[in-house]
Order: sequence, then structure tokens, then C-alpha cells
Amino acid sequence: MTNSVQRPASSSSSPATVRACRIGIDIGGTFTDGAIVDEATGKVRIVKVLTTPRAPAEGFMTAVDRALEISEARPESVTMLVHATTIATNALIEGKTARVGLITTRGFRDILEIGYQIRPELYNINQVKLSPLVERRFRYEIGERLDAQGRVLEPLDQVGLRAAVRELKARGVEAIVIAFLHSYLNTVHEDIAERIVREEMPEAFVSVSSHVCPEFREYARTSTAAVNAAVMPIVARYLDQLSCSLVRRNIRAPFYMMQSSGGVMKASLAKARPVYIVESGPAAGVIAAGAFARSVGFENIISFDMGGTTAKVGVVQEGLPKLSPEYEVGRKTYSPIGEGKGAGYPVRTPVIDLVEVGAGGGSLAWVDSGGAFRVGPESAGSEPGPACYGRGGHRPTITDANLVLGRLNSDFFLGGEMRLDDGAARRAINEHVAKPLGLDLLTAASGILDVGNAGMIGAMRIVSVQRGYDPREFALVAFGGAGPLHANALAKELGIDVVVVPTSPGVATAAGLLLTDIKHELVATRRMVLSSEAIPMIVDSFSEFNERALRMLAEDRDQWSEVTFLRSIEMRYRGQSHELNVPFPGEMAPHLLEKALRASFSQKHLDAFGYISEQDLIEIVNLRMSAVGHVPSVRRDVLGVGNGDIGRAQKGTRDLWVRGSGALQAPFYDRYKLLAADEVPGPAIIEEIDSSTLVLPGYSAGVQAEGHLIIRPLSAA
Amino acid sequence: MRIQNQQPSPLIDPEISYRAAKLHEGDLRLLRRVVRSQIFNCYEKRGTPMPRAARGEFDPVRFEVIRSALLAVVEEMGATLRRAAYSTNIKTRGDFSCAFFDSECRAVVQAFAQPSHLGSLAHIVPAAIEKYGRERLQPGDALLTNDPYTGGVHLNDITLISPVFIEDKLFGYVANIAHHVDVGGSTPGSIGVSKEIFQEGIIIPPIRFMQKGNIDPNVFDIIRANIRGEREVSGDFRAQSAANRIGASRLIELADRFGVADSIYYMGQLLEYTDRRVSSNLSTFPEGRYHAQCQFDNDGNTDEPVDLSLTVEIADGIFTVNFEACPAQRPSSLNATFSQTYSAVMYVVKCLIDHDIPVNDGLYRQIRVKTRPGTITHATYPTAVAAGWEVAMHICDLIFKALSEAMPERTIACTKGIVCNLAFGGINPTSGEYFTYYETIAGGCGATAANDGMDAVQAHFQNTENAPAEEVELYYPVRILRYELIPDSEGPGKQRGGLGIRRDFLFPGWNASFSILSDRAIFPPWGLAGGQPARAAKYILDPDGKATELSSKTTITLAPNAVISIQTPGGGGYGNPHDRDPKKVSEDLRQQRISRLRAETAYGAEKGP
Repeated sequence: MTNSVQRPASSSSSPATVRACRIGIDIGGTFTDGAIVDEATGKVRIVKVLTTPRAPAEGFMTAVDRALEISEARPESVTMLVHATTIATNALIEGKTARVGLITTRGFRDILEIGYQIRPELYNINQVKLSPLVERRFRYEIGERLDAQGRVLEPLDQVGLRAAVRELKARGVEAIVIAFLHSYLNTVHEDIAERIVREEMPEAFVSVSSHVCPEFREYARTSTAAVNAAVMPIVARYLDQLSCSLVRRNIRAPFYMMQSSGGVMKASLAKARPVYIVESGPAAGVIAAGAFARSVGFENIISFDMGGTTAKVGVVQEGLPKLSPEYEVGRKTYSPIGEGKGAGYPVRTPVIDLVEVGAGGGSLAWVDSGGAFRVGPESAGSEPGPACYGRGGHRPTITDANLVLGRLNSDFFLGGEMRLDDGAARRAINEHVAKPLGLDLLTAASGILDVGNAGMIGAMRIVSVQRGYDPREFALVAFGGAGPLHANALAKELGIDVVVVPTSPGVATAAGLLLTDIKHELVATRRMVLSSEAIPMIVDSFSEFNERALRMLAEDRDQWSEVTFLRSIEMRYRGQSHELNVPFPGEMAPHLLEKALRASFSQKHLDAFGYISEQDLIEIVNLRMSAVGHVPSVRRDVLGVGNGDIGRAQKGTRDLWVRGSGALQAPFYDRYKLLAADEVPGPAIIEEIDSSTLVLPGYSAGVQAEGHLIIRPLSAA
Repeated sequence: MRIQNQQPSPLIDPEISYRAAKLHEGDLRLLRRVVRSQIFNCYEKRGTPMPRAARGEFDPVRFEVIRSALLAVVEEMGATLRRAAYSTNIKTRGDFSCAFFDSECRAVVQAFAQPSHLGSLAHIVPAAIEKYGRERLQPGDALLTNDPYTGGVHLNDITLISPVFIEDKLFGYVANIAHHVDVGGSTPGSIGVSKEIFQEGIIIPPIRFMQKGNIDPNVFDIIRANIRGEREVSGDFRAQSAANRIGASRLIELADRFGVADSIYYMGQLLEYTDRRVSSNLSTFPEGRYHAQCQFDNDGNTDEPVDLSLTVEIADGIFTVNFEACPAQRPSSLNATFSQTYSAVMYVVKCLIDHDIPVNDGLYRQIRVKTRPGTITHATYPTAVAAGWEVAMHICDLIFKALSEAMPERTIACTKGIVCNLAFGGINPTSGEYFTYYETIAGGCGATAANDGMDAVQAHFQNTENAPAEEVELYYPVRILRYELIPDSEGPGKQRGGLGIRRDFLFPGWNASFSILSDRAIFPPWGLAGGQPARAAKYILDPDGKATELSSKTTITLAPNAVISIQTPGGGGYGNPHDRDPKKVSEDLRQQRISRLRAETAYGAEKGP
């Protein structure tokens, strides 16, 4: 549960003459998106510039400049800057990481290379292992040993260690990982080693396993520390460069990075812990979805982000995104659900739990050698892109199907910047799908959407039903360029009654950056049987966490108005090896606390597995705390209220084909001309520059005060 | 949601089982969700007038949607089993499989991480149901079996089968198989050297293990009394029943969503589709007969090597592996059941055909496995079978060897070639509890015409994860001293084999019983097309002292503080090592994967410093 510390109202000390504003910048593969919000008026403006992959800082600064320009704000009036980037992920995927050395326990030199000792693909005799982040020649074994209780069995060989560091330095290593067995229980040897490394090589980037990931299981911990080291020089240089550029522009606002867990941390801290920002972009999307939904009254949502190559699905429950404790980075290829473990580098830091499926606008439709109708995971990407882009793509994609079925406007794609070729889309679908399967064009096109949707429904089942939630109790929040076109159909299939389409869904992630809180993750492995003796340990550990967290949050005192500590305990029956995360119910009498923890663990276990064991001891494994500093949100500006006549926004009508209803004459609307309280009955298409929203027959889209659309069944409205 | 922890909580409370039995389910919670939510009833509710199947129409879209939904069911079963299980072997190492069979006992869809389960469930489920009697099955029942001679594999792999009824009609079966750490017998982990099945543990013929959704306490007590580490194994059984419960309720939802008739029609179509794809793949294989043979070190009881030979016959679109020339079974553990032999063949077939062909009954139709009962590839009562997976591993490598000239670009040199079963146990000196621990160790993969073999991975049908040293040391009185690659263990070649692994165990202050059931200490993994063999396995007692080499199949009681070093083989090389790109040789040298001497002698590198 939570406990909150109130602080007197935030010291927003900006004089009234300066228009205070916050900026969020999200760098994606093709575009760098920026969002700027005026703190006084709540007006949000969006900019889109091309990503500059060779020097991402350039695109970043261009977006900042453009944002200031369009909002007529001055650099010194920026009060907060938040950034999401794929720089760490890209370095890992492209193998362009730093030269790293490893200092480890004797006998365990190859831990990063042996990994889980499995093959990611079961039947491919020609597969090749991902190269380890630390070359074998830079991995040094040092005499030292702790036992499984953390007691020293063999003292650290400091002389040998010093010699190893000197060799690593001489061989041009930039970053050093220190990871000894059982260090999560006792950091003594890692601490000494860190001191020695810093003495011998003050310029080195150092990543200590017990600092980065103080949890048991040596491969995951060492790998997390190695990923951290491998991207540390790259991220540090990048952030230093950005900081300099910002200062040169006279922007001195606190600069934050989005973390994989959905909170932000100071850029200065991210330089030491870059492994925490690896999944910053996707995390920002879920945070955005959660925040938009909350602003229109929904706390439980499934976030659905559909772009060009994949769709990502996550869950926010009671306003909090679902987190996962571990994931893999650096996979070269997309792998289907349930396969491919070991294809990337494990990272054990909290990450927003997303299920990704190979279904995006560019996913290809094809007929396999057995005559089955398939969609994805292969994608036409943006080059050559869908057939209708007319850039040399001849195979049909989901986007082509959307065009043929009248869901996309060939004259208003990206606001009319690109004309779509309807004939090319028809030809591609006819040739590659309709003819081989003996279907007519429209049935084939509709089939492409149904088959693609089946994959997305699978992902939604994984995040909901497989984890014990009923999707009907959630709202679906759709964003990304393609999300709003598919959301209504998916919701219908899943029995979901509410679809939220935020304003500017194609750049929702950047806007989400303006809505995040400051967050610090603390974890400690404290393996103990749940008994009366364990209670003092739990209480002491959490109060130590409290102090640490308050110290960390003190750095950002100007930004937050209130803090929340989310405390939880990972427990299992002794002998199990997957833990269930049980919320800490708060301070209370020890015997009551024990009882409460026992009860909530049992309930969780019953929910997850359908049984409770009386004979088995319950074991505590990890204590976790998320310390959240809430950043006061800016009240967004509101639309004028409409008079109920949506004719003002209608651009025309066109043929829309919907399974079960056949061809319909559907109106299409300009979203920018819709006003608050307008109701758009389906069938209809609502167009804007970065996306289009489909409203099915039997549904109606209501325009909410801040401009978000809420689609509901007519019967429920 | 009901809070159950105040009162004594049975596995499932009586109210649940009563109502569950009526509705053919095991769990009220799930049942409530189904009844209450009807999550996926939209197709029926939308008033599809008549099943398409009845109209004889095939809808490719519906087909694909049902196929995704079926796969989701078994994947969810697997996720449940894995999370709820107790033993490292199931949870961390993923040694289990889940499947759905139609009412005619044909496998429809299967989820698994271990290809060793590829063919085995497909044999066990029909055999068990036939033996028990399909007509005796009631809603809420579940059958349990590990009988090696009724379609089973070795005793540790225990299968739980639950019928799924819809409106009193049998819709199909959900089943899962999981490797249990111990099933009794003469050695901890039940994987020792023995002569007959009775020494290997408890034999469970197909029996009713659950009734009205509840585990039968009498049967459960008999089983638990016969195994070591009762607590852990009990948890695993509960996890198996949880997986079937989830599977059954999801299938009922699925049938509700698509309609029973349509579901059955498209399941049939899925099998036909798979068969079509297998056939079109097989039609590209070169017709002919291809023979190969090899040897095992010994059978564990005598020092005499054991022969294995097979002939692959490709003709008329049928892929046959003939084992009829294999020697008679011996009174030893080194015998495979027919299911194990079959699984090994299916694994290789799956590698040879397109990777995305689904696993179901349609996959098996064009494949034949010919054996003689009473031989090492088709064990019969009452011989022991605990090392049957070692036979299966040799079969995989040998089929590839047989095909190496006919299909050179699709074959692979010999891998580490062993499952490498290890188990240890005894009385834990700190807790006083009797415990057992089981694991297998990876090694090198064979090289192919295109690539080097992977270093330090499991081979062929085996893909079980390792247990972290920190976890092993935490739970068991053992210390892992080394876990590392073995330089120079690769089979040299134009493409080299992968490196083997060394893992050293120390048992501080107590007498552990340690069992090895493995091979390839005498006959190392072979190379292909001029590639060289890899370093053989070594099983060494006191590696840094007297260094006594142990047999590949043995059980010994260790002195306190003894160290055992397990050193697995590398993979065989492919092509002449002197043709290897010198840059690759020097890179291996630079990374200390091979020694200077090795580079010069095996690869002909120029003399260096």
C-alpha cells in the first residue's frame, strides 16, 4: 500500500511574467516528437522532426527549438525537460557497445557466455549465439569467495585484482563490471574491488553488480551490470552533449530521463544507471495512456500502441502500470510469444510489462505453403512500405487493407503529405491473398484485418486473462499511428465497452513525457521464511528504504509536491522459484502484519494457480519499493463546447466496408473541428494528421472536454 | 473474491468441487469467471445462423483465428504449470509440455520448450486412455501415468490427462507431462544404473488420480510415500493439476465462442493443413536409403560398448527410420522406450522441414519409425529405461550423420551427444531433510556447412536451462567451484564445433550420493565432411588431486569435501580444419577458446610467439 508525505505547495517560483512551460522529447526510429505544455494555460503543442540517427542530439535540439518557437516561449521559461530515447537499445541491437572488462569470481569467467545454456530457437541447426557483451579476453577471474549465507570463505585477492585492472586499462577497456558470487548478500568484496578499480583507473566507467541489481541469481545480475557498463560511456557522452547544448540555449531547467519502469530520473543519475532507461520509449507510451485515461475517469486500462511494425499491449491497474522484474534486450529479430528466451541480454530492472506482437500497419499478409492465411510477423517497414505507398512495395499489408476497406483516406494520409495509391493496394491484395484463397477482394481485405486482429487479441489475452484479469473491466486506450483504426473492433471482440483515443494519438508518447512522476526503485533480496521473526526485518528494511528514498527524492524537491512509497514483498512457497508480488499493507502490530501478509499471499496464489498449500512455508525473497515524487500535473486547456451539430466537422462521405454489415456510406470528420460534448455516431471515420479513428456501426464516439474521444456502444450510451 | 485463509483450506473447497463436477471443471474461481463473463461469446451472440462447418464452407480467416486461440490455450497451461511448480527442473528449466487432444485422441495443439516431448505425449495419451477405458472417464476425472511400456518414456516423466466435456459430450483431453526430480528407486533422482524397471522407481499405470476435480488422497499418499523430496514433488503434482484446470476451462470458453461444431471442424482442418505442409516438404527430400552406426561407451553394468545403427528410407513421400538392426535390450538402464525413439526421430524431422509447421497429429502422418520390440530402441518389460534419453540423443546425431551426404546443407556434425543426467542427494546436514537434486549440463553444438557450432548449449531435443549457482548453493549443501568453457574441446573443422563445459561440485562435510547417467567418455562426437571429432566427455573425481576418471554411468558415495568435475564434450567440426578462415582461427586464439598449440596443429596456423 502507500504512505504519503505531504509537502507545502510546490515552490513554483517563476515570476508571473515568464510563461513557464515543460517540454517532452521522444526520439523514435523515424521521427523525433516533441510536446510542450504551457503551465499557465495548459495548452499542449506538438512538433515532429526527422530523427538524426548518427547524431540524435541534433534532432533533439531541433525539436526543442521548434517547440519553443511555436509556443512563443523563451528558453529560460522551461521548468522541466523530460526525454525518452532508444539510444541504449539501439547500441545493444547494433552491437555498438563500449569495450568492457569483467572482474568476477574464480571459476565463473564464462557466466555471461554460458547464460541459460539454451538455444533460443529449438529447430534451427544454423543458429548463432549472440556475442557476449564482454569479450572472453577481457574477463578476469579473481580469487575470492562468499558462501550462500554471505560469509567470506576466501578473502579477496587484492594484488591479483590490481594487476587485472592494470591489464584491462592497458588493453583499452573503457568500462569495468564487478560481479562476484553471492554479492547480493554481502557487498564487501565488490566494494573493495570498486575502490581499487577507481584508484587504478579513475577514468573508468564502473558498474558494480550489487549496486545495479542487488538480487540473487548470478547470471541475471551480472548481465544487468554488463548491459549497464556496455552503454554507460555512450549514454554518458550523449547526455553530456545534450546538457551542454541546453545550457548554450540558455535552458537550465532540470533535465530528466524516462525510465523503463515509467518514472523519470535525473539525467545525471541516468549516466550512472543507464540500464534503467533502456525501454524508456515504450514505457512513456503506457504512462501517457494511463494519464489520459485517468483524466477522463478510467483507472484500469489496457494500453494499445500500434505502429508500423508491431503492436504493444500493456496494463494499467488502479492508475499504476503493471511492471515486470526482468526482460531481455538486444534481440536481433522479433520472436513470437513464448519463444526466443536467451536471444537477448537479460536485464533485471523493473520494466513496464508489455507484450509485443508482429502486427503493425506494415505487417505483410501472405498465404503459406499449406494454404493458410497469415499476417506478419514480417513487415514491409517504412521502406518499401505498404503497396499503397507506391515506393516499390508490391505485397499487401494491414495498411493496404485499411485503405481498400475505406478506413484510410488516400488524400489525407499524414495530413495529405503522402498520397496513397488505392489501385496498388487492390492489386496487391488480389494477387497475393484473394486469388490464392479464392476470396473476393473485400473479403480478403477484411480477412487481413481479422487475422491481424487475432494476433493482437492474443496479446491482450496474455496481459489480461492469463494474468487473472477480466478485460471487460478495463478501458482500451489506443494510440500510435494505427491503433485508433483497430481499437473499436478489438474492443468489440474482447467485450470491452470503453475505448479512449487521446488527442494526437500518433505522438501520444511525447505528450506522456509531460505527465510522468519522479521515481526511484529500491530492491533487496532478504530470503526468510514468513514468521514472527521475519517481521522486524521487514519493518527495518522498509524504514531504511524510506530514508534512502527521501534522500534521493530530496535532490528534486522543486519538482514534486507529494511523495508516495509503493512497498511490496515478493513471496513464494519455499521451494518454488517464481515469486508473487504482494503489497505491503503498512505499519501495524507484528502479529497482524504477519497474518495480513499470509492472507494476501494466499489469495494471490489462489488467484494465480487455483490452490493454496497449508503444509508449505511461505518464503520472503525480495523487498521492493517504488518511491514516487508526484509532479503536479498541468491542467490541460479545454475545447469549446459544441452545439450538437457535427456537420461543421464533416469532410464528406465515402464507402466503408465492415464485416457483417457490408458496404456502408460513412461520413468522415476533421477531428480538429470537433468540439467538446460532440457525439459522432458510427459508422464514421475521424481524421487527423497523425492518425485516423474508426467508429463502428452501433458505437458512438463522444468528444471529451480536453479533446479525447471515448467510443462506447450506442446501447450503453 | 473469496478469502479462504481463515478456515482450514483444502486444495479446493468442497463447494467448488461439487459445482465444478457438475460443470466439468475443477475450479470455481475460473468457473465463475466463465459463467459470469462469457468473455468470448461474441460470435455466437452475434447470431451466426448456422455453423459454417455444417454448410461445408471453409473460411480461411476463421481457421486462422481458431488456430491462434487454440495455441493460446496450451500456452496458458504451460505458463500456469511453470509458475506454480516447485522444482527447479520444471520452473527454471522448463522440463514439461502441455497439449490438447480431440475426442479421438489426436494431438491438436501442443506447447513446449523441450522438443523431447515432441512425440511422447502423442503416444502416451491415446495409450493411457485406451488402457484405462474411455467409457469409464467422468467429468472432473484425471488420469496419471508414467508407465514406460504404455506409451511412456522414463519414470520421471509423469503425465496427467483430463477429459473435457461440453454438455455431457466428450470434447477432448488436456494433458501435460512434467519431469519430476525423483520417483523413488535405488538412487536419488531415480537415474542410476540398474537392471530392471523396479529399481528405477514407482511405476504408475494409467490410474484415476483426480475425481470431481480433487486429487484422490489415497493415491497421492501411495505416490508420495515412494518418492524422495516429498514436499517438492507434491507441489509439482498440484501444479500439473492447475494447468489442466486452466486448459479445460479455456477450451470450454473457446467452444462457446466459436461453437462446438465449428471448433471441431477447424481442428480437423488444422491437422489436414499440417499434413499438407509436411508432405510438400518431404517431396523435396532426395529418395534413397541412408545408413549410419555408432556406439555407446557401455551400458553401465559391463564395459562392453553398445551398438546403435539405423537406416533412413525416403520413398514415395514417406520418411522412415528403420531401427530393426539394433541389438537386443540389455538388463541395464541404457534402453529407450518406443516413445523416446519416436520423439528423437520427430525432432530431426522438425529440423529438416519448415520451422513454422505446427505440432499436431498432422505432423506425424508421413513419418514411420520401425523397431523390433525387445531392442535398445524399443524396450519391453521389465528392463530398465532411465538412460533412454541418452539413446534418443545418439539417434538424433546419427540420423543427421546418415543424411549428411544426401542433404549436406541440412545436416549438423555430432553435438555434445549426451543428455548428461546428474543427480545427487542424501540427508542434508543442516536441515536433516532427505533431498535430491537433478540437472543436466550443456556442451558444444555440432558445426554445419554454414556455421560454427554454438558453445555451451543444450543439444537437439534437450533445451533445459541451468540452475544458477547461487540458487543451488542456497538450497542444497553443495558448492559450485567452476562453471566455465573448456578451451580446445571443439571439433576442429572449416566450421568448428562448439566448446564443452566444465562444472565442478564440492560437497562440504557430508557423504553425498552422486549419480552420472551419461556417455561419450570413450567415443567422442564426430565431425562431418572432413571435420574432426571433439574432445570426449570426462567425469573426474578429485580433478585437482588424484584425478580419478569415472565411468559415464555410475553412482558413487563421496567422502566429505570431495570434488566431482563434469566436463562435457564439444561439438564435431564440419569440413577440413585447414580450410578454416585464418581470421577465425586467430580470433579463437585471441579469445582463448583455443590454445596456440591447437591453432598450429589442428588448423595449420603459422607458428607464433
